[in-house]
Amino acid sequence: MSRKNRTKFSIIRGAAALGIGLLVAFLLIFFGSEGSTVGEKFSSALDALREMLISPLFRKDGSFSLKNLSDVLAGMIPILFTGLATCIMFAANQFNLGAEGGIMLGAFVTSLVAIYVPVPGPLLIIVAVLAGAIASAAVMLIPAVLKAKLGVSEMVNSLMLNYVIMYFLNYLMKSFLADTSKGITQTFPFQDNALIPQMINNGSRLSWGFVAGLIMVVLSWFFMYRTKWGYGIRMTGINQPFVMYSGMNVAMIIILCQVLGGLLAGMGGGIEVLGRYNVYNWSALPGYGWTGITVAILAGNNPLYVPLAAFFMSYLTKGCTLMSTNTDVPAQLISIIQAVIFIFFAAQQFLSGYRQKLVVQSAKEEMAENNAGKEALR
Amino acid sequence: MRILTTDFFFSIFRIATPILLATLAAVIGEKGGISNIGLEGIMMMSALFGSLSAFWSKSWVIGLLAAMAVGLGEALLMGVFAFKLKTDIILVGTAVNMIGSGGTIFLVKTITNVTMGSALTSTTSLITKELQIPSIHIPLIQDIPVLGKIISGHSLLTYLAFLLVWLTIVLLYKTPLGMNIRSVGENPNAASSVGVSVSKIRFITIGIGGILAGMGGAYMSMYYAMGWSLDMVAGRGFIALAAQSMGGGEPVGSMLAALVFGFAQALGIKVSATGVDSNLVAPIPYIVTILSLVVFALNQRRKERKRYRGAA
Amino acid sequence: MSEEYVIQMKDITKVYPNGTVANQDVCLNVKKGEIHALMGENGAGKSTLMKMLFGLEQPTSGEILVNGEKVNLSSPSMAISKGIGMVHQHFMLVPSLTVAENMVLGMVPKRSGCLIDEKKAVELTEEYAKKFNLLVDARAKVMDIPVGMKQKVEILKALVRGARILILDEPTAVLTAQETQELFVQLKNLKNQGYTIIFISHKLKEIMEITDRMTILRGGRSMGVHETSQVTPQEISRLMVGRDVILKVEKDKAQPGKEVLRVRDLSFTNEWGKKMLDSVSLSVRKGEILGIAGVEGNGQKELVDMLFGFSRPNGGSIQVNGENLIGLSQREIRRKHVSLVPEDRMLYGIASTATIEENLISDRSGSPELNRGILFNMKAIHKETEALIKDYTVLCKNGSQQVGSLSGGNIQKVVVAREFSNDPALIIADQPTRGIDVGATEFIRKKLIELSRSGIAVLLISADLNEVMELSDSLIIMHGGKIAAYFEDTAELTDELMGRYMLGLEEQSPEEIRRVCHE
Repeated sequence: MSRKNRTKFSIIRGAAALGIGLLVAFLLIFFGSEGSTVGEKFSSALDALREMLISPLFRKDGSFSLKNLSDVLAGMIPILFTGLATCIMFAANQFNLGAEGGIMLGAFVTSLVAIYVPVPGPLLIIVAVLAGAIASAAVMLIPAVLKAKLGVSEMVNSLMLNYVIMYFLNYLMKSFLADTSKGITQTFPFQDNALIPQMINNGSRLSWGFVAGLIMVVLSWFFMYRTKWGYGIRMTGINQPFVMYSGMNVAMIIILCQVLGGLLAGMGGGIEVLGRYNVYNWSALPGYGWTGITVAILAGNNPLYVPLAAFFMSYLTKGCTLMSTNTDVPAQLISIIQAVIFIFFAAQQFLSGYRQKLVVQSAKEEMAENNAGKEALR
Repeated sequence: MRILTTDFFFSIFRIATPILLATLAAVIGEKGGISNIGLEGIMMMSALFGSLSAFWSKSWVIGLLAAMAVGLGEALLMGVFAFKLKTDIILVGTAVNMIGSGGTIFLVKTITNVTMGSALTSTTSLITKELQIPSIHIPLIQDIPVLGKIISGHSLLTYLAFLLVWLTIVLLYKTPLGMNIRSVGENPNAASSVGVSVSKIRFITIGIGGILAGMGGAYMSMYYAMGWSLDMVAGRGFIALAAQSMGGGEPVGSMLAALVFGFAQALGIKVSATGVDSNLVAPIPYIVTILSLVVFALNQRRKERKRYRGAA
Repeated sequence: MSEEYVIQMKDITKVYPNGTVANQDVCLNVKKGEIHALMGENGAGKSTLMKMLFGLEQPTSGEILVNGEKVNLSSPSMAISKGIGMVHQHFMLVPSLTVAENMVLGMVPKRSGCLIDEKKAVELTEEYAKKFNLLVDARAKVMDIPVGMKQKVEILKALVRGARILILDEPTAVLTAQETQELFVQLKNLKNQGYTIIFISHKLKEIMEITDRMTILRGGRSMGVHETSQVTPQEISRLMVGRDVILKVEKDKAQPGKEVLRVRDLSFTNEWGKKMLDSVSLSVRKGEILGIAGVEGNGQKELVDMLFGFSRPNGGSIQVNGENLIGLSQREIRRKHVSLVPEDRMLYGIASTATIEENLISDRSGSPELNRGILFNMKAIHKETEALIKDYTVLCKNGSQQVGSLSGGNIQKVVVAREFSNDPALIIADQPTRGIDVGATEFIRKKLIELSRSGIAVLLISADLNEVMELSDSLIIMHGGKIAAYFEDTAELTDELMGRYMLGLEEQSPEEIRRVCHE
C-alpha cells in the first residue's frame, strides 16, 4: 500500500474507533439521563456529551478557559510516563502490565527521599526522582529476568507484583511512615526544596514535570529509533528469531525493555507526587498504568505519538469529570470509552475490508504507473 | 494462639471458592488454546449485575442466573474481538478488565440513579440476608466431629464449585465437546481437517469460561461479601490463571492450587487477627503465585532436559 | 477407457496469488486399485497437485473427475465425501488424545446421550486395524506412540471415513528402514483389497519396489506416465532430475587456499530417535565453492542448523579457522566471520514490517562504524545502506520502504547484501535462489562466484541441480544423512550420474569420500 493510502487508512480507522467510543458513551448517557420522554432524554444526553467534549477547553459562555486546559495538561504528566513505559515494553512484544505498580513504587520512594534525605537545593528533586525510578526499575527485573531465563509469563508476574507493591507500601505507611497526627494515612510533608515548581500558578498543578515528560518523549524516541538498543527492542517485537539469527542478545533485550519500562514508570510517579502534592498519600493503585497501556496502543508504540494520545486521554478524562459535576453522569464513563476505543484500535481486522480495497487500489495505481513508465521508455 | 481451628479450615474452602470457579474457567480456556486474562473483569461485571438482579427480583436464583448470563455475554463479546476481528487476546482481556474496574462503578451509579433515584457507589445496602446465596448444612455430615464443622455449612456455590471440578473432568475427557475443545487447543489444523468447526468450538470454550467466572462473581457479591463494591475481585481472576498453570492445566491439580491460595489467604486473615498488619498478609497469595510459577518453570525445564538427554 | 480411472485430473494449472505457477497443464490419471507414484523434486509441484485433489486448494484451470464424474472439490470434507483420504507429511493428530479418540474425532460415537462411547471407539479402531492389518494401540495416547504407528493411525483415520483412494505425502520421510518395509507390506495389502493409493516420493528405490505406475513432475509440468516395470531407475532419474533452462555462469578456475571450515564426524539424532547426520566430515577452503547436492531431507538442513548454532550435534567437531563453533550463540559464530543465507528467509532472514535499512544493519547494529557514542550514526547508516542497495541492485524506492513489500527476489537481495558484506570468511548459502526470479538468481550466483574468487570460503547447499553444478568447484552429494559421493571437479559430471547418487542407487567408497577433507 502506498504511504498516502496507509496514512489515510490510519486516520479513518482511528476516527472510526473514536466515533464508536463516543457512540457507546452517548448510548450509556442516554440510558442514564433524566427526562420523561425519549426526546427529552435525547436532548439531555446530547447536552452531557457536548459538555464532555467541549468543557475541557471552553467555559459555559463559550470563552476559552486556560484553567481547564492547564488541568488537562497537568493530567497528562503521569500517563505520559506510563505510556512511554508501555510503548517500550510492548514494542518488544513483552506484555508487562507493571507500569501500574511501578508508578506507585516510584512515587513512594521519591517521597521518602523528598521527606528524609537532606540534599541541598533543587538537586533534591533530581535525587528523589532518580531514586524512585531506580527502585521501580529494580522491581521490574523480577518479571524481566524470569521471562528471559525461565520463560515465565511476564504478564501474570507483573500483575501480581502490582498487588504486592500496593500492599507492601500500605504496610510501610501504616506501620512506620504515616504522620499519625492526621486523620488520613499520609506521610510527613516533603522538604520545601523537593517540590517541583509550577508552570502556571492557577491551582491546576501543571508543574515543570510536564516539560520533563515531553523531554522523556523525545529521549525515548531517540532511544527507540536512534540507538542500537532501541533498534534491538523493535526488531524483537517484529521477529524474534530474526534477531537471534542476526546475532543480537535476545535475553538482554527482553530484560532491558522491561527495566526501562520500570524506570520510566517510577520516574513518572516521582514527578507526579513532587509536582502535585506536598505529602504522599496514595493508598491504592492509581490506574495510570492502565491508561498508559491505552496511550501506548493509541500511539502505536511510537513515543512520538504518546503526547497526542496522552492529551486525548487526559482531555476525555477531564471532560468526563466536568460532565459529572454539571450533570449527573458519573465520571467513570471514561473507563468504558477508553476500553472501547482501545479495543477497536487493537483489533487487527477492524475495517480490514476497507484496507483490502485500499491495497488493491494501490496495486492498481502502481501497475498503471509502471505501465506509463514503460510507455514513456518506448 | 491456635491457628489450625475448624474455623480456619472452613474458611479455606470459603475463600477458595471464587478462585476455584475462575480457575476452572482458565483450565477449560487453556485446554482450548485461549488465555483469558479478562476473567477478572468478567467477575467484576457479573458480581455487579448478580447483586442488582437479586435485589430487583428479590431472588438470589435470578441474581445468580443473571451473573452467569452477563459472564457468558461478556465472554462471547471477547470472542468476537479475539476470533473475528483478530485482536490479541491479551489486549481484549485488558479492555474487559478496564471496564470491570472503572466501568462497573459508572454502571452502578447510573443504574441505581435511574432505578432508585440515588447514585450508589456499591450495592452493599441492597443485598440482605434473604438474598444471599444460601448455605447448606448437610445432614449427618454436619454432626461428625471436627470434619462436620469444616465441610458442612458452606454456600451452595462452594459445593457446586467442587462438583464442577468433577464435571470439568467429565466435560474435557468424556464428552465429544471436550474432545473437540482439546483438539482445537492442541492442533486446530487436525480438528478442522476432520470437519470440526474451530471457530464454533472456540466460542463455546470462552463462553463456558464466562459462565464459570460469572458464578465466581455472583459468589463474591452475593455470598462472600454482601453486595458489590469497587475492585472487590482484587486479582482473583489473575490468580486463577496462575493456579491453572501451577496445576499443569488439569482440573484436579488446578483445584489443589486454588486451595493453596485459599490456604494462604486464610492464614493471612488468621495472622492479621492477631494484630499483624493485614497489608503484610494480604499480598501472600500474589507472592505465592509468583513463586509457584517459578517453581513450575524450573520443574518443566528439568523435565525437558531429561527428555532431551533421553533422546540423545 | 476412462471407466478404469478413479481419478482423472485434466490439464490442471495452478497459479498462486503471488504469481508463482505451481502446476502447468498437468494431467494425472490413476487406475482403480493401483499404487501410483507421483514423483519429482522439491518444488516440482507434487504437493500443490495433491492439495487440489484433497480440496485444500482450487485449480486455476482444468478439471478433476472422480470415478468419471466431474467434481468441485472445495474443501477437505468434500474430498472425504468423494472417498479421497490424505495422509499429510505433518501428522494431523492431536497428541494428548488416544489413538481411538483421534480415529473418531469429529464423528464421535456417543453413549447415554452425551458421553463419548470410548468402548465403541476402541472397538471401531481395533476392527479397522485388524481388517487392514494396521496394528495400533487404540488406548495409547498419540504422543506416546512411535512415528510409524502415528502414520498407521493417519491411514486408518482416512479409511474409517470411507476413503477408497489414499494420498500418502512422502510417507517414508519420517520412518526408519524397518518401519518403511512394514508400511509397504500394509500398502500392498490395501491394494489387494481394492484400494487405490497415490504415493508421493522422491525416493527411487521405494518407488521401484512398491508402485505400479508413476507420473513424474518437473518444474510444475508433467514428464509423462510410465509403467514402473517398463522403466529403469536411470531413466527415471533422468526425467526427474534433469535440468531445464541452463543459466550459464562464467567462472575462473578456483585457487583453493588454506582450510576455513573443518567439520569432522558430525552426528545428530533427532528427537524421534532418527539419525539425521551420520559421521559427516568435510572441509571448505579459502577461495572455493563446495556444493552440497541431494534430495531434500537427507541431512542438509540439520548440517546447516549445527553450523550456525541452531542445534547441537551429538558428536563430532566444527571449526572455523581453527576455532570451535559448537555450543556458541549466533552472535559468537558471527564474530568468527561466518555468514548464513538462511533457507527460510521469512522466518530468519528478515523482519518483514521493518524497513530495508533496518534489515540491512541487523548484524552490525552495534558496530563502531555505525554508532557515534550511544547514538546511531544515521549518516553512516544511510550511506552504508544506500551503497548496499545500489551494489546489490535492490529494486525499491528508498531504504525506508518496508522490506515485506518487496518482491521475493528483492527480499533475497536484501538478505544476501547483508550477509555478503560483513567481511565473511565463510558464507553458508542455503538454497540462496529458491523461488526467486531469474534476474535476482543470476545476480546472486555471480556474486557468490565473485566473493569466492576474492578468497572467501563458500558452502552452497542447493536442491537446484543446475545451480549446484554450475557454481560449485567441487561437490558432495548427501543421501540418508551421509555423504554419498564427492566430486573434485564438477566439469565431468552428468545429471544422470548425480541422480544415481542422489537417489541412493550408488555410493562411493569411504576413501573416495574422504578426499573432501583434503588431508
